[in-house]
Amino acid sequence: MKKLLASLERAGKLAENAALLVLLGTMIGVSVFQIVNRQLLGGSFSLSWADELVKMIVLWLAMVGSIAASRDNKHIRIDLITHILSGTIVAWIKIVVDLFAAGVCAMIGWQAWRLVREEMSWGDMILGELPLWIAHAIVPAAFILISYRFFVRVLTLLHGILKPQEAAA
Amino acid sequence: MILVSLILLVLAVLGAPLFAIIATSAMMGFHSSDTELMTIALELMSIAQMPILTAIPLFTFAGYLLSESKAPQRLVRLTNALFGWMPGGLALVCLAACAFFTAFTGASGVTIIALGAILYPALKQDGYSDRFNLGLVTSSGSLGLLFAPSLPLILYGVVAEVSIDDLFRAGILPGLAMLVMLSGYSIWVNRDNRKPMGSFSLREVGAALREAVWELPLPVVVLGGIYSGFFAVSEAAAITALYVFIAEVLINREIAWRELPRITRDSMVLVGGILMILGVSLASTYYMIDTEVPQKLLGLVAELVSSPTSFLILLLIFLLILGAILDIFSAIVLVVPLILPIAAGFGVNEVHLGIVFLAAMQLGYLTPPVGLNLFIASYRFEKPIMHVYSATFPFLIILLLSVILIAFWPALSLFLV
Repeated sequence: MKKLLASLERAGKLAENAALLVLLGTMIGVSVFQIVNRQLLGGSFSLSWADELVKMIVLWLAMVGSIAASRDNKHIRIDLITHILSGTIVAWIKIVVDLFAAGVCAMIGWQAWRLVREEMSWGDMILGELPLWIAHAIVPAAFILISYRFFVRVLTLLHGILKPQEAAA
Repeated sequence: MILVSLILLVLAVLGAPLFAIIATSAMMGFHSSDTELMTIALELMSIAQMPILTAIPLFTFAGYLLSESKAPQRLVRLTNALFGWMPGGLALVCLAACAFFTAFTGASGVTIIALGAILYPALKQDGYSDRFNLGLVTSSGSLGLLFAPSLPLILYGVVAEVSIDDLFRAGILPGLAMLVMLSGYSIWVNRDNRKPMGSFSLREVGAALREAVWELPLPVVVLGGIYSGFFAVSEAAAITALYVFIAEVLINREIAWRELPRITRDSMVLVGGILMILGVSLASTYYMIDTEVPQKLLGLVAELVSSPTSFLILLLIFLLILGAILDIFSAIVLVVPLILPIAAGFGVNEVHLGIVFLAAMQLGYLTPPVGLNLFIASYRFEKPIMHVYSATFPFLIILLLSVILIAFWPALSLFLV
């Protein structure tokens, strides 16, 4: 079980890195090509989809970056408590705030999923052929994953408090 | 509603992720005004409708690449060759190099780690007191926020819907004023530390220039491109990212290919954090505008103060307190939509407001309880936090004076716009 979880974690991190590399690389490539096309080639290629694609990549980078931020525990917080308190009380406070964050993310994920379901019925398209809801599906997916990450952190913290020897080992 | 706000405030101070706090308050607002809760997702998805936002991941990636290469060393060598011979020269080198570097890395604490590690021992060797060094390096770490293409400038432009080109121009003179005042203080403090004037060597300047030959076009491309109107900001960002990648990975080969996934991840984690806060605050701003919160605030403030001058005083006090608790990115997305209409009511120019806002928030990096630079310096140089705080205090006062100057001399910001 532990082994399965560990390899799941590794696979998750790899997937995030791969997605970020592809998204960022595509963004740089398409943006630079557009400039070259306009300034040097006199706009000889028609790239009506390029602007739309780059803007959609920003949303995807934001979402995948947020998933990665929750894995690395790097979401922006007011980092005061760890500087003035220490010991078990800090762990309990972390449990409370992360449980709260897990709940909020689950709620946002659910609302985003409802919205995406509605978009399925509207049938809007972007980039020519791609249904809009597929491009937007990253939002509910990301929030469900972020919620899961916060929940895992809560469990890890609880484990650390209740069974300190085992957690240290 | 008041009880819920209070609970959220407590959770925020206890360290709950700020995006979750903002999202909750937005959803509570939607719920109480019978707005469909899905609106929060709709606002998040509108991240994909702001073309200027592409600049944020691109500049961040370029900044992280630069800080992982040996560009910081080359930058220090070059500024040292240019200014090092003057009295107090190395302190000036520190200020100039840090400001330049922070403009590209967006004041995320990277500057202290990348440049401080080189400058701190060098200053010590040059006979500056330890206390002075610590204060100088810590406060230099957020200098340069006002210079293009810093992330907070771009984010303010996005949130306030102000031309980012104008902001880039407006930041130049106030940023220089901060540099000059800190330089003056550094020279004055070290007036007794007289050393024989170092010699200015054209040969060393030439060698430093040759070494940095691949980075030198960077400011020309970015700043020249943007200021001349040849590139849009997001285009300059794409060019910068590609250029830095080619220079540091392909030509200088200081970053191995296998390091790229980690560097990409580190930079995009920051981007994810910033854009997430921006996304949820779009939702909370939507609610606040909908319920006319800014107008009510304006009415309240108008009862307290009557002139633009007293408004600016009140604003500065508010921003200094805000900066001490909240990081600069959260402060921009949360507070700017609220104070923009109020400032307009008092006839404060929105570009000038942006410069004042960022200059004041820069002090937040150095003020307890949550000054980021204080903690990074304490950790990096292994000094107790109280020691870092007291060493930084004189610099904080100088910066405070510069913020007051910037606030009450609008022409300084608006002269180049």
